[in-house]
Amino acid sequence: MVQVPSSLRRNGLRAFSLLAVVVLVVAALAGCSRGPVRTGNVFVIAIESEADVLDPQVAGGWVSWRINRQMFEPLVDEDLSIPSSDARVPPLRPGLAESWDISPDGLDYTFHIRRNVRFHDGTPLDAQAVEYNIRRMWDKGSPMYSARAAGQTNFVWKFLDSVTTVDDHTVKLHLKQPFSEFLRMLSQGGNGSTAIMSPTALKKYGEDIGDHPVGTGPFMFKQRIRGERIDLVRNPDYWGPKPQIDGVVFRPLPDASARTAALRSGDVDMIAVPNPDSIDNLVAEGYQLSEGIPPHTWYLSFNMRNEFTSIPQVRKAINLAVDREGMAKDMLRGSVTPAYGVQALSAGGYVERRDAFERNLDEARKLLASVGLQNGFDTTLITSTDGSGQIMPAQMAEFLQQNLAAIGIRVKIQTQEWISYLGVWARGMADDVGMAQMSWGMTSPYWLYIATSSDLQAPNGPNVGYYSNPKLDAAMNHAITALDPAEAERWWRTANDIVTDDAALAPIVNDKAPYVLAPYVKGFVSASEEWYDLTTVRLEQ
Amino acid sequence: MTRVIGSRLLSTALVLFGVSLVVFLLLQLVPGDPAVTILGSGATATAVAELRSQLGLDRALPIQFFDYLGGLLRGDLGRSLTVNAPVTDIMVPRFVNTMILTGAALLLCIVIAVPLGVIAAHKQYSVFDRMSMVISLAGASVPVYWFGLLLIGVFAITLGWLPTSGMYDPRFPGGIGDLLAHLVLPAVAAALVPLAVIARMTRSVMIDILAQDYIRTLRASGLSTSSVLWRHALRNALPPIVNITGLQVGYLLGGVVFVEVVFGWPGLGQQLYTSITQRDIPVVQAGVLFIALAFVIINLLADMAVRLLDPRTRRAAGV
Repeated sequence: MVQVPSSLRRNGLRAFSLLAVVVLVVAALAGCSRGPVRTGNVFVIAIESEADVLDPQVAGGWVSWRINRQMFEPLVDEDLSIPSSDARVPPLRPGLAESWDISPDGLDYTFHIRRNVRFHDGTPLDAQAVEYNIRRMWDKGSPMYSARAAGQTNFVWKFLDSVTTVDDHTVKLHLKQPFSEFLRMLSQGGNGSTAIMSPTALKKYGEDIGDHPVGTGPFMFKQRIRGERIDLVRNPDYWGPKPQIDGVVFRPLPDASARTAALRSGDVDMIAVPNPDSIDNLVAEGYQLSEGIPPHTWYLSFNMRNEFTSIPQVRKAINLAVDREGMAKDMLRGSVTPAYGVQALSAGGYVERRDAFERNLDEARKLLASVGLQNGFDTTLITSTDGSGQIMPAQMAEFLQQNLAAIGIRVKIQTQEWISYLGVWARGMADDVGMAQMSWGMTSPYWLYIATSSDLQAPNGPNVGYYSNPKLDAAMNHAITALDPAEAERWWRTANDIVTDDAALAPIVNDKAPYVLAPYVKGFVSASEEWYDLTTVRLEQ
Repeated sequence: MTRVIGSRLLSTALVLFGVSLVVFLLLQLVPGDPAVTILGSGATATAVAELRSQLGLDRALPIQFFDYLGGLLRGDLGRSLTVNAPVTDIMVPRFVNTMILTGAALLLCIVIAVPLGVIAAHKQYSVFDRMSMVISLAGASVPVYWFGLLLIGVFAITLGWLPTSGMYDPRFPGGIGDLLAHLVLPAVAAALVPLAVIARMTRSVMIDILAQDYIRTLRASGLSTSSVLWRHALRNALPPIVNITGLQVGYLLGGVVFVEVVFGWPGLGQQLYTSITQRDIPVVQAGVLFIALAFVIINLLADMAVRLLDPRTRRAAGV
């Protein structure tokens, strides 16, 4: 056995004390930079995932458009300075088009392009620039055409027949048929946005345009370090009300706990998608909670090729068995609201139908008995385990499973990771699947057409339950082609009622898109959209 | 020596070819379509078909693979499907960031684990030995994710000494000092497991060596204990320690993904996770290739180091 000499004990101790001193010195040096939060008038937002591409027409996700929107503007915009509580549907306002005329037959849209506006690279905004952008998204035969941009915006340009530059500041769009939601769709976009990009930059950078975003918006691109930050700075020459902050930094922090920690330590001023369990504590500590009613519905599509869910009474019974109130209040702690309409609350033509969507187990059982299914049946619900805007899909599906067990329906849940699920979902449901879950929406009631029109049955489009109802198609066609907005609205309401009465969908909850902000952030508005305007934000310390 | 290096490089090339083939095939097996991913829930069949053809996804699989391989030989890693940017532009900075984190963690490991193991071996069964081995066993078992959050909670939020996440301050990004301050916590979190492994390895190797006859001879000839321990015993213990450290680098490269997520560190692991979930094949391929390459090179270096440290291996190999 080796003896323990004291010299060695001293050596070991010495080594460790040295190490401890080094660690402390490093920590102390690092600590010097911290004190009360110094913002430097730069607003730092922790976002839930890395943005994809800073090309507004090509980027599909909400995360990317929240950033792109600060740099780019469409012809027609939504006014996001009004909170959801004051404007259920965000009003339209002129964007890069100062005004527009619509011909009495609803086929010609003449846009008067805003004068004296320049892109961030100095290129003047004119009619040619607008035409160039539209051809990029729509004109397959043109050299600037991008299949990605077209795929993301196809619902906006569906009825476009031609685009013409009339003079330097006038662009005329001719449609094949009237499209009552055209202006709303221009502002809201499809998956991607129709925001206008600098044609000079598009020509110069080609495929790499996403690394050199040049728009007309209130903020300009400064730099992007992938995975770390995207920096925008105030556009001093912005044509509209100039931002009050000098810049904004978007910092992707995919982990919810990491976002909360960053907010608490003062590293960031606002966090997206807080963990529902942390919101109450943060509010108690003095942080501000901002919520709205974005057009974001978490819903189920029923499979019209399944032996059970093809029966209307079964679909109605399922709708009546779901405890939306319980899911919103108990399970998700008020971070969502129960959905009582097939479309989002912030969509035009919204119809609330508590009779069809409030829990009523007796009625549900009666409906099942009326078709001989009083003993219930076995079915499958497909959903994802995670994903953009999906909230807590697996847990929510389990909640529905319990709800439906109350009327004897035995639900098997099949989950897949988000991207795999998106692929499976888009192909349409297999015959043995009864319900498929998804979450999205638009401020335009045209969304109802996208989700339920017989033209867009999967795999041709997002009608994944193959719903086909000539009465509904006719009503939506009236709504789409109506020349009078009030008449269009009436038809959309009729369409909502048809979908509700036939129970083609089961809306479950609407997301409130919560953000948590540091106490000194003022002027942030949660409007009825999935994205926000940052021109009104101030940092008051 | 040159011949050994040559044959190792050749096998490296084969390994990399195998790795890219396996990754390519695996990603074909997983359900999900990049075109649908890009276009999202509103995708129509026509738009998806058009995009697939633009991305070249409608070509036969072997053609896709050999096209990719051809590009690779020309140093072209292709373009990311989702981000629409050259893969090199995305992955090289990520790789550098991961190497910074891995390097710092490795440094911490070596500086702490080797002395810890040596002292523990020397004072076998003492309180210090038992304590340090229990702590290192705990270190190897603690979930890195949880440990990272704990570090953030204590050092970033409660004490306010260090930043919570990222590589640089979001408002006032500074130079090397800013980077070091951001590096401390993730490096400690990443070092935890390999540190424990290396410390335990050092201890067991040292115990074997300290029991050998020549140690007794050295002692008998009047050498000081510290000289026996640090100069003679440790030197003989180094080859296996270097080997295990080389293997730990592989663990670090693959395992820092949790650390990168918790600390918002813009490294390879984080990017790889995102790209796998999006079926962004060119990016995943490049990421896996980078990791494989780094792993092979570091282990090659470790082998070379062992040869330099231990004359016996040189003689055995006849070089």
